[in-house]
Amino acid sequence: MKAKDLMIPLQEYLTPDHTLKEAANLLRIAGRGEEKIGVKALPVLDKKGKLIGILSIGDILKAVYPKYMYLMDLGSFTWDGMVEALAQKMADRKVRDFMTQMVITVKEDSPIMECIDHMLKNNVKRVPVLNKANKVAGMLYERDVSYEITKSMINENTGGGE
Amino acid sequence: MTHEAAAASTQVVMGYSFWIATGIFLIAYAIIVSEKIHKTVVAIFGAAVMLILKILEQHEAFHVEEFGIDWNVIFLLISMMVIINLMRPTGVFEYIAIKSAKWGRGEPFRIMAIFAIVTAVLSAFLDNVTTVLLIVPVTILIADALQVDALPYLISCVLASNIGGTATLIGDPPNIMIASKAQLNFMDFIYHLSPVIIVTMVFYIFAIKLIWGKKLKTKDELKQRIMAMDENEAIKDPVMLKKSLFVLAMVLTGFVFHGVLHFQPATIALFGAGLLLLLSKTHEPHHILAEVEWPTIFFFMGLFIIIGGVVKVGLIKWMSVQVLAITQGNMFATSMVVMWFSAFASAFIDNIPYVATMNPLIVDMAKQLWPNLSGVELLHHADLMPLWWSLALGACLGGNGTAIGASANVIVVGMSEKLGRRISFGKFMLYGMPMMVMTVIISTVYIWLRYYVLKI
Repeated sequence: MKAKDLMIPLQEYLTPDHTLKEAANLLRIAGRGEEKIGVKALPVLDKKGKLIGILSIGDILKAVYPKYMYLMDLGSFTWDGMVEALAQKMADRKVRDFMTQMVITVKEDSPIMECIDHMLKNNVKRVPVLNKANKVAGMLYERDVSYEITKSMINENTGGGE
Repeated sequence: MTHEAAAASTQVVMGYSFWIATGIFLIAYAIIVSEKIHKTVVAIFGAAVMLILKILEQHEAFHVEEFGIDWNVIFLLISMMVIINLMRPTGVFEYIAIKSAKWGRGEPFRIMAIFAIVTAVLSAFLDNVTTVLLIVPVTILIADALQVDALPYLISCVLASNIGGTATLIGDPPNIMIASKAQLNFMDFIYHLSPVIIVTMVFYIFAIKLIWGKKLKTKDELKQRIMAMDENEAIKDPVMLKKSLFVLAMVLTGFVFHGVLHFQPATIALFGAGLLLLLSKTHEPHHILAEVEWPTIFFFMGLFIIIGGVVKVGLIKWMSVQVLAITQGNMFATSMVVMWFSAFASAFIDNIPYVATMNPLIVDMAKQLWPNLSGVELLHHADLMPLWWSLALGACLGGNGTAIGASANVIVVGMSEKLGRRISFGKFMLYGMPMMVMTVIISTVYIWLRYYVLKI
């Protein structure tokens, strides 16, 4: 089993010039397979289709989270309306300023264990899958890998029982 | 010593080693100023070159007080860092900051003034970078809550930090270095520097009132955001907090009496750090020790060795002869030259290498003025004392002059840039330089009045 067998072929993606507002909306309505139920991250491609980053819902949270709050324990000293005010302030900022630039990727032909290795060691739930031309062919999701593992477990159990 | 011998001792032999050591010193300082290579790397490599070329023997660098690493400075810095690293997770600093904002009753300028005073007081006892790292995040939060510009708060805090740090032996690295070299104790600094810093702070508060007092306005409903905050929620570990405060009180008491008890400040601080580590019952001292700012510590060690090299070959003595030639042995003039030159030098270059150079220079100057004296008699000569205080005041207060004058400035400018609010070099100087000049003028009047008119 290879990455390409489990990946979902690329449908939507972002560009660095999208605003956060547009990006957040696309994350909300993007398709995962057949269903239009939203995704938790989208790859960011430049004009030539080259992968230059990934924007996740975590990056959206980070966009409204004031950086100075990382420095001290200030969580107890916030107020109602703080997030909404910052969300409005950040809405028109560009994706390029908030995307994660160090993207963990796998190749189409990477074995699934290699994909699991990347996911666990880098603590990511989804990885872009690159084709031979180094373009994004699709996204491999933790959930689909885990579903495959589940299938193997069940198959083995039924196999052993016979 | 006869008169001829004294005259002869001002002669410096400028042989090969003199020029090699001087070359290493000048190149290292030039690279540090240019910031092309990290200053710690430059200091370590420069020190290593001094040793490998045998300008300085390793034994001299590690074990001889006159030429080598000042372990008193090193251990004082490390110990204070360990104590603060252990205290930080208790939430005490968040508590103090939120409490201060509430004392300000949500009034923007009142809060600014209180933050400036709190920053100055904390800086007097903690290192300035630590203080601004602890205060600045809260000031930005408060400015956000009040919907006022955060920049005036950032600038007023960092300037106050450099002023407050001047007040005590442990407030700012130049003072730690001066104290160790001149064998001055904690109470000497309280007696000679704290009074002028208190006066300076009063002027400073008036100055920031003049600059920002009228511009900062907020609405009543926004003040409620501050008043609704409960500072008690900041305390994460009350047990460790009690232990920390106990140890801190012991350390401060120790500092007050270290002169009388004949302990070096580093001994007191190390005892505090050891005791608090023990009381914290930590099984993982690893991360507490990892948070010590090792680059700063190694910067100091490297510098001490580089300076040791140029002291040994006589460059510093040669420089001191030149200074005395300019001031013609007039001690008031020398004090003033030292203070103002230190202020402008520290505004543009790191005050740590600057003071590391000035310390032995002043000692050499004293040796030429009073060749018959040595030890404490020489270092504490009544005519020399104002010079140490002038150096401390100039080097510490000079840090306010520009955005690169002190580590705390660099940190705050860097932080505000990350927050999308760039403080340009010019903008910082617009506030910092007049403030530096004002505070150094106050110090000038103080030195003149106290040591040359009233003579107390």
